[in-house]
Amino acid sequence: MEENTIKVGNYVIIQRQNYTKLQKMKENCTVTLGKDVIDIDAVLGHRYDETFRMVLKSGTKRTYMLEEVSQLTLTNNTQVEESGIDNRDIIDDGKSQTLSKSEIENLRDRALSSGDIVQKLVENSRTFNSKTEYSQEKYLKKKEKKYFEYIQVRKPSIRLLAQMFYRQDPNKTLGIRLDDLSQLLTYANVHSDGHYLLYDSGTSGLVAASILNSIGHDTRGHLVHMHPGNECQKSALQAMHFPDEQQRRCINVNLYSVLRCYHQNDIPELTTETDTAKRKQTEEDTQQRKKPTWQYENERACRILREQVDGLIIVAKEHPVNVTKELIAFLKGDRCVVVFSLVREPLQDLYFHLKERTDFVSINLSSNFMRSYQVLPERTHPEVSMNFGGYILTAYKLIKLTC
Amino acid sequence: MSFRSFKSTIDEGDTVILYLTIHQIYSVKAEVKTLSKKGVLIDNVFQTQYGALKCGDLIGQKYGTKIQLSKGWGYVLQPTPELWTLTLPHRTQIIYTPDISMIILQLELAPGSIVIESGTGSGSLSHAFIRSVKPHGHLHTFDFHEQRVQTVEEEFKDHGLIEWVTVKKRDVCSEGFGSELEHRADAVFLDLPHPWLAVPHSKLALKETGGRICSFSPCIEQVQKTCLILLKLGFHEIQTIEIIQTQYSIQTRSIGVLNLDFVKVKKCEDSQEKQEKEILRTVTAVPPTTQPGHTGFLTFATLPPIWARTLAQENNDLCTDCV
Ligand SMILES: C[S@@+](CC[C@H](N)C(=O)[O-])C[C@H]1O[C@@H](n2cnc3c(N)ncnc32)[C@H](O)[C@@H]1O
Repeated sequence: MEENTIKVGNYVIIQRQNYTKLQKMKENCTVTLGKDVIDIDAVLGHRYDETFRMVLKSGTKRTYMLEEVSQLTLTNNTQVEESGIDNRDIIDDGKSQTLSKSEIENLRDRALSSGDIVQKLVENSRTFNSKTEYSQEKYLKKKEKKYFEYIQVRKPSIRLLAQMFYRQDPNKTLGIRLDDLSQLLTYANVHSDGHYLLYDSGTSGLVAASILNSIGHDTRGHLVHMHPGNECQKSALQAMHFPDEQQRRCINVNLYSVLRCYHQNDIPELTTETDTAKRKQTEEDTQQRKKPTWQYENERACRILREQVDGLIIVAKEHPVNVTKELIAFLKGDRCVVVFSLVREPLQDLYFHLKERTDFVSINLSSNFMRSYQVLPERTHPEVSMNFGGYILTAYKLIKLTC
Repeated sequence: MSFRSFKSTIDEGDTVILYLTIHQIYSVKAEVKTLSKKGVLIDNVFQTQYGALKCGDLIGQKYGTKIQLSKGWGYVLQPTPELWTLTLPHRTQIIYTPDISMIILQLELAPGSIVIESGTGSGSLSHAFIRSVKPHGHLHTFDFHEQRVQTVEEEFKDHGLIEWVTVKKRDVCSEGFGSELEHRADAVFLDLPHPWLAVPHSKLALKETGGRICSFSPCIEQVQKTCLILLKLGFHEIQTIEIIQTQYSIQTRSIGVLNLDFVKVKKCEDSQEKQEKEILRTVTAVPPTTQPGHTGFLTFATLPPIWARTLAQENNDLCTDCV
């Protein structure tokens, strides 16, 4: 059960209904959800997925503490006395709610439960009783959502992180949608026993974390994660809290610096990477340890690149042709390159580049239509809002036999 | 054994992907002889548009190379679950890579996961499941069709995957997944005509620390029944989606440009006819004229850990619109 306990240092996902937020657990930690400030200290030592109720701190407005709940004060107890048959008599003149905005805020500050607030709203609505049963239900749902006072603490997973980033701002992950992400992983054949190369210019670490997650713990796979900046983006990598041995198999290197190292430096041979005990004794290693981490990581990456990789994934802000051209040299023959882009034209350019080279087959460009459904008795239909994903190019590299 | 791990050379008995064009892609076995339909041993020859391939000749060749056919050439690739999905012998309807990808991500599978699947069908999804969970996870797959169970088990053995999968013949709607799998699974996947009947058994099979479930159904009525029972049994985050992939053909189109300026000036005998036709070249991605517009609805849900179950159920009642 240890791994299900929320501890200081863990990244957790705070969820209030459908809203989620990533948070690192510290002592005396607060999180801001909309206008509400919540002191989340109380969740430490509890288990993931437990539910907590927001309780107003005395003397404050909209600052809350959390209280464990074993039973929800069920909010669906609002009394519905009457319903109309249809909405022909409903006039939306903005005057149906007799409580003023500040009166409603006041209810909130008095720390009433969401159920009580909704009850008050209903009592003070001129039109509620003439609404149809369906609209009443919709009204209640909407209001309860607004005043919902329960939160849950979730353990981050790739699914939750990808959905959260996308909902907050698709730009945080270069517009990669859940279906796009899922297909990068399958088309690149990412699994426990391969070495993979990723160039990612800004998905908050999501793609790297997803690949490392699929490589798994206690396996032999590695990921060389190239990024354009001084530091790689790693929110998602940290949030996933991978065991050390797994995290170490994600080698984060700067694109320019690792390529310079590859082309211009002699890379010292290592007998086996895991053989740390033995390495410690060798002279070479004394030198190794004097090296800055980035240089050590560059060399580790170069050793993998020299052996070539089993899959290449590119998720770039930049035009993909040049970077792909450079990096496919590190891809083994018979393996797949997968490139994501939010816009199609750069991938069309890449398509022509690969076509000309003659050592790529099965060059494919695709995109997805994806939509969600509301499934309710007598009321099933596609969700009213939808969004658009990006484009994916895949191609298999051939081995050029020198004959 | 060519599914087990990455390899570079084709060995005897390997399943090999033969790539001719984007629409002509097949799987063959690298064997000199094969059994004919009548059960007689004959030469293993595969006929293509570009001539015949003696499959025995593939042995010893490198994966990822060009091979000569009598009237052209092809390429040989090592099978991956994606390539297998495109080339496998269909014994049932199968699930394709866009849906498979989403299923694997949303079921939160990773090496070490224990996953249950029913029905096995043609094993298209199973191959991708096995790749995700090996080397320390396991797939338990069930189908009530004797022949399909046997064939797919043969395939798993032949592909070198059998150590990560257990195939059982069983009607999971009436008999469930068996007591040995109670509270063992991280995820359950259903592709059945009556998935709602298997949901209670799925709940029993999922770990006490919780897990994910997915049901794939072509019809919305199946989805409605499944969602209702999921809700009733305390699953949360119930979500139904569909995914349709479009593959484009990249083309450079030459498009004639109409020049209408000349109508504004008086016709002048000689110059008119000789004017060069203006052509614009534009690169475009053309979708196919027809493509599948529906595969199935994917319904996902979470079974919360045992310590959060009753509460999650009430939470569900509160926000059915996240359904
Ligand atoms: C559409 S196929 C599954 C295809 C599979 N997902 C694939 O990708 O290859 C459905 C399978 O479910 C099996 N099936 C139907 N009802 C069943 C039941 N009650 N118990 C077990 N298997 C069942 C059928 O025999 C059939 O093989």
